Amino acid sequence: MAERVLKGQGWPGPLALVVTSAGPYALGITVAFAAVGIFMAAMGFDVPRAYSTIVFTSFRSVNGFIQTLLKFIPLVLLALAFTVPLAAWKFNIGGEGQLIAGAIGAAAVGILLADLPAIVLLLALILAGILSGAFWAAVPAWLLYRFGINEILTTVLMNFVSFGAMDYVATEVWPDPAAGHPTTVPIAAAGRLPLLVASPPLHTGFIIALAVVVAVYLYLNRTTAGYELRAAGANARAALLHGIAVHRIALLSLVLGGALAGLAGSVEVAGVHHRLIEGVQSNYLLLSILIGLIAKGNTVAVPFVAFAIAALEVGARAMQRTMMIPAEIVFVVDGLILIFVLLSDVVRRR
Amino acid sequence: MPALPAADPAGPRTMLEIRGVRKAFGPVVALAAADFQLREREIHGLLGGNGAGKTTLMNILYGLYRADAGEVLLDGRPIQIRSPRDALRHGIGMVHQHFLQVENFTVTQNIALGMPGRSRLFLPLAESEQRVRDLAARFGLEVDPRALVAGLPMGVRQRVEILKALYRDARILILDEPTTNLTPQEVDSLFASLQAMVKEGISVIFITHKIREAVHVCHRITVMRLGRRVLTVPREEANDEGLVRAMVGEDVDIRRSVLFSGVSRKPQPSGGQAILRVEGLSVSTKDGVPLVEDCSLAVHAGEILGVAGVAGNGQRELVEALIGARQTAGGRVLIDDVDLTDAGTARRLERGVAYIPEDRLQDGFLPKGTVVQNLILGVHRRAPYARGAWLDWRAAFGAARRLIEEYRIRTPGPDAPAVNLSGGNIQRLMLARAFSSPCRLLIAHNPTRGLDVPSTEFVYEKFLELRDRGAGTLLISEDLDELFLLCDRIAVLYRGRIAGTLSRGEFDRYRIGRLMGGMEAAGARG
Repeated sequence: MAERVLKGQGWPGPLALVVTSAGPYALGITVAFAAVGIFMAAMGFDVPRAYSTIVFTSFRSVNGFIQTLLKFIPLVLLALAFTVPLAAWKFNIGGEGQLIAGAIGAAAVGILLADLPAIVLLLALILAGILSGAFWAAVPAWLLYRFGINEILTTVLMNFVSFGAMDYVATEVWPDPAAGHPTTVPIAAAGRLPLLVASPPLHTGFIIALAVVVAVYLYLNRTTAGYELRAAGANARAALLHGIAVHRIALLSLVLGGALAGLAGSVEVAGVHHRLIEGVQSNYLLLSILIGLIAKGNTVAVPFVAFAIAALEVGARAMQRTMMIPAEIVFVVDGLILIFVLLSDVVRRR
Repeated sequence: MPALPAADPAGPRTMLEIRGVRKAFGPVVALAAADFQLREREIHGLLGGNGAGKTTLMNILYGLYRADAGEVLLDGRPIQIRSPRDALRHGIGMVHQHFLQVENFTVTQNIALGMPGRSRLFLPLAESEQRVRDLAARFGLEVDPRALVAGLPMGVRQRVEILKALYRDARILILDEPTTNLTPQEVDSLFASLQAMVKEGISVIFITHKIREAVHVCHRITVMRLGRRVLTVPREEANDEGLVRAMVGEDVDIRRSVLFSGVSRKPQPSGGQAILRVEGLSVSTKDGVPLVEDCSLAVHAGEILGVAGVAGNGQRELVEALIGARQTAGGRVLIDDVDLTDAGTARRLERGVAYIPEDRLQDGFLPKGTVVQNLILGVHRRAPYARGAWLDWRAAFGAARRLIEEYRIRTPGPDAPAVNLSGGNIQRLMLARAFSSPCRLLIAHNPTRGLDVPSTEFVYEKFLELRDRGAGTLLISEDLDELFLLCDRIAVLYRGRIAGTLSRGEFDRYRIGRLMGGMEAAGARG
């Protein structure tokens, strides 16, 4: 499906995208909400109230807004972990494995090197997360580089390996017996990300995420290396014949993706949980791929789509609490938006 | 060459008529008000330069595009064609320049694909195969119905495509630039098949920009320019000069142009410095089958060295080895006396090699990119485009605007998606890219293939300019006229070996022909 989404798309031209795609997006969102609304009405739910909960929870209270930003951080990082390799036409479906690897690396540093001075520990912890995530992606990347093994398959499979690793670390290596759920002992307090807003708490991972968004944009759009990466993704053979080392770039793009996902893992550990908790990956992988596809791989659109999806997620949880409507309904909405955006593209091309 | 059958003396009837068709793509008007008439049992040449609207008109007839205005009449009745399915229902079939085939299906499977059978669940492939055999025999379209399409040469794949249309009972067959990828033998056999079709009552529309082919095979010729019909003449009344005039309009002064002046110029003084030296180069497949054997060449400063040969005699492999995209099995490649045999493409480009690939779309083009992104491919690591790790887009856009102007690339601007460029404009882009870099050695493979007359001339002018600047050029081409016009020396490639090298004074069509056919192994001088 991704092939259909992305073939024939221009390279990210920020303005062009906003102008030409506003129509299909508005239509896709409207139709998706309408379709799910009919469905919910048939089940006897109060549709207007459910929708106002979904859409406005994030904006009605400070708490809701901060919740949304907290979801936004891992989502945007993981979505970039998908779209950066995608620009080189490589498919990184291993974001959650790389996030878990990053979380493990970060937790390990936060627990083992607890005596380091505060700022050093924090930096070491973040770096450990990035490197662990990069390593987790480097395995499929190397298999692709050396043997030509399809990266879609290997990145997915590495996810399952990461589940086992996480379980082992949380139950065997540094288990916290007091917790009722597989969890490690907490990291040193010095390893926590400082807070940006004290109450409700918003950690500085938000700043990191925004900085990464800008850095990725500059890398892809303003550097020769980024140009080569996108050229390799646009036509690998032409790129190769014009002096671009496409195989090395494929490897690099996946490792970069892994590093971004690993960063997301360490930010979750250092900013939110302050320990490694099983389930740290949440449903971020699916959501992030959805974000990447709705944004059509455009790194400029990614943060906006990620924010919208985060808001819907927060709204859905609130709806579930107050109205007993399963939050998964929003996942249906997300999926339908993607489908309708794609459909309107196809129709427009006719 | 089979003799041309005389046109039906009983008064040829017009079977298809196109009236006042208009089609615009955004601001670009591809067809202004195009008319066209096709008679029964005729091969009708549709001649025109790049962007004249030939293919657009035929795509409308085949239901791929919808006309903004105008009508199509079949046997005097107006018909609506909304899709290729509609077109086929009316007996109109089309063979495109780029074939749409399932590579890992057999010939029969490809032909029968999408045809309704008697049962929804089973395909009577045995019957289909028999039908394919019958059709192939009837029209002289030799194919093995059971062969996998993937391994077939271009000529055979084209036959498959023609058979696809005939299998669907096409009465009108549209061929879009059918000879572009064919060897001379394949062209002959195609023309023979066309004659057989006409005898059986099929009419053929033959889209081409090659005047000689049109005059050779067509009963009538329609010339299009700028989205309009300029003239329609029977073959007997057609002459090259008149057709060229109709095709190019008043834009180009024919007599003064490089193409028609025959270019008399002094041969380059020999003994210049060798920019490219190839010594005993060999290239093999993974299984050790030799593709290029013991090939030695030298390109000197200010020289254009041609490589002639029938397609498939190692040209592609030689070029790929020279630009560093293919492993060599032996020999050396030196550029300015530096051994670059094992260097990658990037290092060769740094040394001033520019490359115009044969297969523009596959080997030279970023369809997902914009025009400017395409224009800097391969030179993006050099000044003024690169400043350290950063790309200077302002410099790139400035250069792109200049190149678009100078090379007359038809596009709204540097930021326009490259995917909207037409074939000829893509080639102009390739040229602009190659010539915009400080070029020591140009390697060009069939650079004018598929180009119209003004574009071809433009390419030739640029080649001569480069030669005068003292750069070396290796021109691999299947067009002998082109080689005779431009080259100081011509090396002939036959089965991966240099069969002979001739200097400008010794150019002789027949001699080169014999070398190309492997009938003579003249003393090879690199």
